[in-house]
Amino acid sequence: MDNSDRYSRQVIFPGIGKDGQEKLARSTVVVIGCGALGTVSATALARAGVGRLRIIDRDFIEYHNLQRQILFDEEDVKQQIPKAIAAERHLSAINSTIVVEGEVADVNHRNIERLSEGADLIVDGLDNLETRYLINDVSLKRDVPWIYGAAVSSYGMMMAVIPGRTPCLRCLFPSLPPAGQGGTCDTAGVVNAAPMAIGALQAAEAVKVLLGVEPMGLISLDVWSGQFNRLDVDSRPSPDCPACHGLYEFLDARFGVRTTSLCGQNAVQIMGAADARLSFDEMAPRLRPSGQVAYNQFILRFSVDTYEMVIFPDGRTIVKGTNDESIARGLYAKYIGI
Amino acid sequence: MSVTVRIPLPLRTLTGGLDTVQVAGENIAQVIDNLNALYPGMADRLYRGGDELNRFVLIFVNNEDIRSLAGQQTAVEDGDVIAILPLVAGGR
Repeated sequence: MDNSDRYSRQVIFPGIGKDGQEKLARSTVVVIGCGALGTVSATALARAGVGRLRIIDRDFIEYHNLQRQILFDEEDVKQQIPKAIAAERHLSAINSTIVVEGEVADVNHRNIERLSEGADLIVDGLDNLETRYLINDVSLKRDVPWIYGAAVSSYGMMMAVIPGRTPCLRCLFPSLPPAGQGGTCDTAGVVNAAPMAIGALQAAEAVKVLLGVEPMGLISLDVWSGQFNRLDVDSRPSPDCPACHGLYEFLDARFGVRTTSLCGQNAVQIMGAADARLSFDEMAPRLRPSGQVAYNQFILRFSVDTYEMVIFPDGRTIVKGTNDESIARGLYAKYIGI
Repeated sequence: MSVTVRIPLPLRTLTGGLDTVQVAGENIAQVIDNLNALYPGMADRLYRGGDELNRFVLIFVNNEDIRSLAGQQTAVEDGDVIAILPLVAGGR
């Protein structure tokens, strides 16, 4: 079968054209996190003909992922394939003319520079803010643009960050919110159209930034209430942004969630990135659909699967049932939120 | 002045689920005060002690960042739309 007209419909589009298509084929994009957002953006970028895609994710596929993670199917769940590997297989089947590399890894300050080596652009498909601030640091340090995207419930946000030309994530949001304030997909739920819309916009922004086209700015949308906004943020980097001035506090591990494996206890302690003032009265109803919850004014105990999370009002959490810090951080991001 | 305030999901526990509310005020600081009077707890979530806004929240008047206007002293007019936008974390 002749493959030569694969991109004909986007080559006809004046914004891309033949030169743009060739440029995409020479580009390398790293997608960090391959869940609801990452499956959508990676699919769009593979179909658009980005020459090399690296997909990084630490998780396996579960049935409750299939509601919104469009790249995966029941067979992937049955075979217990890691998301990064399943994504590599499916994307290669969609487009065999590009190179797709799946990498199973928990992205952190120690490995993010290696994992993003060679990237012309990074796309955010994450579920937590701490790693997004890490991407932000790497982006500024290496002068590589990245596309922030996030979605929960029925709403989401998206913005391209181009070092030196646009504000970065820390210019707009200098600090992380305390744990437990934002709701997560596991506690607030998610309507699949929200991450799909955001992931699709991220892919469009990625293509545009690769081709040198001006990005859209900060987009916020809610697919349920019907609010769609392009917000005018100050278009220059902030004069007092540490990251824009070469202070990479997340990459240097000065900030962020700190985890400590509690020796001999099969438990990991997690300290939040910022002091939280958790309201257990608000938190308990959010957690109940996912597991057993019991609390008093000092402590909230939440049992889920084979784990127990003991949560204190300042956000400090002990995850019992594992010595693996990445599993504990995953549970923290999933249920408490950072 | 009466303005429309868009309430982001994390704060809707305070508004009984409402995603937009009407609030009076001459500027953003007054709008937040009045919002807090209607829905107690709002100021605690928006301010980080005193009257300094939390650094993970942006506020827009008719889609314009108040930081490029007059900050919390930005004047508002009848019918203006105020959006409160906390940083969103989810994505899986």
